[in-house]
Amino acid sequence: MSSAAAEHGTGPETGRALAVEDLVAGYGGVIALDGVSISAGTAAITAVLGANGAGKTTLLRAVSGMIRPRRGRILLGGADLAGRSPEQMVRAGVAHVPEGQGVIPELTVEENLRVGMMSWPRSSRTERAAALEEAYARFRPLADRRRKLAATLSGGERQMLVIARALLARPRVLLLDEPSLGLAPRVMAQVMDLVVRLSREHSLTIVLVEQNARSALAIADHGVVLNLGRVVASADAATLAADVALRHHYLGF
Amino acid sequence: MVEFLQFTLSGISFGMIYAAVALSLVLIWRGTRLLNYAQGGMAMFTTYVAIEVIYRTGNYWTGFVSALAAGVVLGVVCQLTVIRPTMNKPPLNAVIVTIGLLILIEGLAGIFFGGQYRSFPTAFSQAGLKIGRTPLGVSRYDVFVAAAVLVTTLALAVAFRYTSAGLRMRAAAFNATIARLSGIRVARVLTVGWALAGLLGALAGVLVSPSTFLYPNSMDTIFVFGFTAAVIGGLDSPAGAVVGGLLLGVALSYAGGYLHSGSNLVPLVALGILVVVLMVRPDGLFSATQVRRV
Repeated sequence: MSSAAAEHGTGPETGRALAVEDLVAGYGGVIALDGVSISAGTAAITAVLGANGAGKTTLLRAVSGMIRPRRGRILLGGADLAGRSPEQMVRAGVAHVPEGQGVIPELTVEENLRVGMMSWPRSSRTERAAALEEAYARFRPLADRRRKLAATLSGGERQMLVIARALLARPRVLLLDEPSLGLAPRVMAQVMDLVVRLSREHSLTIVLVEQNARSALAIADHGVVLNLGRVVASADAATLAADVALRHHYLGF
Repeated sequence: MVEFLQFTLSGISFGMIYAAVALSLVLIWRGTRLLNYAQGGMAMFTTYVAIEVIYRTGNYWTGFVSALAAGVVLGVVCQLTVIRPTMNKPPLNAVIVTIGLLILIEGLAGIFFGGQYRSFPTAFSQAGLKIGRTPLGVSRYDVFVAAAVLVTTLALAVAFRYTSAGLRMRAAAFNATIARLSGIRVARVLTVGWALAGLLGALAGVLVSPSTFLYPNSMDTIFVFGFTAAVIGGLDSPAGAVVGGLLLGVALSYAGGYLHSGSNLVPLVALGILVVVLMVRPDGLFSATQVRRV
């Protein structure tokens, strides 16, 4: 492994799958991220928390290539990938599940999943079929509805579908933007369980943006709190959860 | 009664051509929310290419295939050079650019090929077919037209539904953001869409030209009819484009046949239908949601 990776702080030896350094990004005249530095531990869950407008979604969008950062670096395995397009980032191993509707309702469940494999380089039909079967085995409700239009799925099932689709891209890093949004508490718990299993069983590095800071900290290893585009706290999850003043001030509980 | 049958059958035959134009418009609309005002001009240009090839080789089919190939190339070239820069800008830019493209293509056609009316040959007899002694109002050529459009439409439908490339195009059309995040190179998909639209337009041009003369503005009316057909069917729906084309073809055939001084009124009737549809059901017959600004 190159020494550059060790120097920049990402790569297997340093345990940092993804790092963002002094990232500045925004929309038009508005700066939403004002010099943010965050690192996500390999195979760990890093929660990104904060109020609406704090810059959480902008952070994920910058990392996945949906928006182009104005300044700063995005380090994946030691290489700076800032400014790459989403098509390139997903091939580099970053899968982003955006907030809200991530499902394509006009396509069937199976077609939605197949879209997840569009970033694969040359692959055979049997390889793809095997990957699909693996996804169906892991997500039984999707198997039962594979030929149905995605529009007919419930909120929880849709969330499962978008995560399954993201996993089919075989990412190293999974960016989840508010996966529990609009879900009933019981379903939300199931989604959170799923996120934990993904990180433990598949060594997936997960960056989890959540409004519901309490549930996020309950499953995260590390937490970062953003406010108005800046990092105001960064510590392991237990420490953050214990900091009552911080919670009251920035996290709403 | 016989007259009715004749008008219906000939209406279906022309309707297929309007359907082809409508399909090319729908293809581009679904992918980009862009209405390609230059579609008629592109079809006219590729038909000129066909006629020049036929003239030099003496072979209709070589010309036919050249037109289709030219349609693909023209579609790609237009998209890469002129259309792509308008992609994330205000929609009015794209409208102006496609209208400008139309004027450019018509002007270039006049320069390269001359402005005089030219007649376009056919490979099949245009003599009316009969059952027994009753003329049907359609010829072998008309049957060829209907078959050509049908086969192409079905081939496209199958490709969209069952191939990976088709899924890519549908995903990009339904949700470009998710498509890009999944690794689909949406820019490339759009270019392919324009290539297909160019192909369909070229097909329509070659099929209709034996019935009209070929001159730089000859496709303008066909474009209006194709656009009307697409609106009737709903700009989002390929099936709607075909149905809209058939409905319009038949309606215009009746208008031309039954109305006093009908043949002069046909374009007027088409525009009248367009206005009525836009007023009464602007989404078209098949469309799920959207109403368009343009």
